Amino acid sequence: MKVMLLRWAVVVLLAYFFVPWLFGANAYLMSLIVASLVIGGVALAWALLGNLGGMISFGHSAFFGVGAYVSALLAINADFPIWLAMVCGGIGALLVSVLMLPTLRLKGPYFAIAILAYAQIFRIIATEWRSLTNGVAGLSSIPSLPAVLWWESGSKISSYLIVVTLVFAFILVYRWVANSHYGLALRAMHESEDATRVVGVNSTLLKAAMLLLSACMTGMIGAFNAHYINFLEPDYAFGGVWIVIPIVAAIFGGYRTIWGPLVGAVVVYLVDQLLFKNIFPSGHQIILGIILVVMILFSPGGLLPLLTVRTRKRTC
Amino acid sequence: MLKLEDVSVRFGGLVALNNVSLSVGTNEIVGLVGPNGAGKTTLFNVISGLVKPTSGRILFDTHDLGSMPVYRRARLGIGRTFQIPQPMHELTVRENLVVAQRFGAGKLDSVKIDEILEITGLDDKSERDASSELSLTELKSLEVAKALATAPSLLLLDEVLAGLESVGKRHFMTLLKSLHERFSLGILIIEHDLETIASLCHRVVVLNFGEVIADGTPENVFRDPEVIRSYTGAEHA
Repeated sequence: MKVMLLRWAVVVLLAYFFVPWLFGANAYLMSLIVASLVIGGVALAWALLGNLGGMISFGHSAFFGVGAYVSALLAINADFPIWLAMVCGGIGALLVSVLMLPTLRLKGPYFAIAILAYAQIFRIIATEWRSLTNGVAGLSSIPSLPAVLWWESGSKISSYLIVVTLVFAFILVYRWVANSHYGLALRAMHESEDATRVVGVNSTLLKAAMLLLSACMTGMIGAFNAHYINFLEPDYAFGGVWIVIPIVAAIFGGYRTIWGPLVGAVVVYLVDQLLFKNIFPSGHQIILGIILVVMILFSPGGLLPLLTVRTRKRTC
Repeated sequence: MLKLEDVSVRFGGLVALNNVSLSVGTNEIVGLVGPNGAGKTTLFNVISGLVKPTSGRILFDTHDLGSMPVYRRARLGIGRTFQIPQPMHELTVRENLVVAQRFGAGKLDSVKIDEILEITGLDDKSERDASSELSLTELKSLEVAKALATAPSLLLLDEVLAGLESVGKRHFMTLLKSLHERFSLGILIIEHDLETIASLCHRVVVLNFGEVIADGTPENVFRDPEVIRSYTGAEHA
């Protein structure tokens, strides 16, 4: 318990003090860190459904996009305060996920494909419902994120502090679910659903809860991103990038662990942008692809379990 | 406690159960026997809700189980084991029981997980991985332990003795008798070993080709010519 609290204290200290203090003056680096945390947030939400719910989703772009549009439209058209608009973005994504509940009957690739189809439907709706979303022209002048402490509205540091708080909140929620008896039942359901049902576990309800929670988290990150970049268009908000990169990050970092998706997102994105992009300005993603393949082959659990095993061996 | 009235199950053209009626009383141990393919496990699946009956009624205490989902039946007090043990993967033995206790019927408050581990002989295996670090006897014990942790009033035991050495069988016989005495459980047990059934059960129901062909005390049922025919062939009857 003490070790865990100490770890949290170090992480919080690093996140809230050292990062703004060390990199705050470098707007480019801060924007990369914020982008990596956005991916980390989606990766965490994706992993919550994938790891605890046992469902691999190819449709998180729907939640990201809906969260972004709901929040942006409420802020633009109804003058909602940004905080409230972001919460509504999360709720909007949650409501959309309710429409996807019938897909929970499907297993494995069938679920993944069905939810991908849903994501495409919402991208088309956002494109075609011009009176509301302004179609392919998108939404511009989306109100910026609010000021935080003495950092002005829309600044890199205030945006960073908001997204890092969101991500920490997600980790706490994830931890709470994973460590509860619901988390135990969810883990047990993956390979032996009948065995859990006959001891009284309502497996359908638990999977639905994970889908709703994951959607809400993704929607809130989408809402944050809309107010951070101040612009939205359907192909961006519902783009495949919000499906692929969080999955890559979660698998790279270790989607079976709580911190893995976040660590994966930060490492993958920052290393790609700061290192590989400088060495190979075009086609730098190929190196990421190769590293991911090597990681899956030699450490299917991902980066974090690999580092944990190494550290343990060294300690022994 | 449990009453089946004219329950039938059809899988396409195959009649797995045909108008099966049987009952299990409170504190009664009933053996369910019959040749392979007679429909015994299908009957368990129907009672626990994994298979829906084509027709008929299943009553448990005052409840008509109808199309009640599996988890609600477990919460009403119907516990079951599987013929091929189905431990909850990725969990330890203790965690398996925690899930069963937290989500189950919770009627036997006096039963604690440590007690169940001790009764079933798993107390020194509690932190082991349930899916990869247990022997067959231990896996079968875990099946019973999980069912017990749900605090059932009716236990459905599907061939818990199958595949066990004589020591393991003796262990289970003692375990089942003590469970019955201690918790006043109704037990419906599928078993091929007729000696075991005779020594354990108050009553025996014989299924053949999905139909009940005998129902009574072990002494009477095992003397029934139709039962002998179903097991050994007409020439022995």
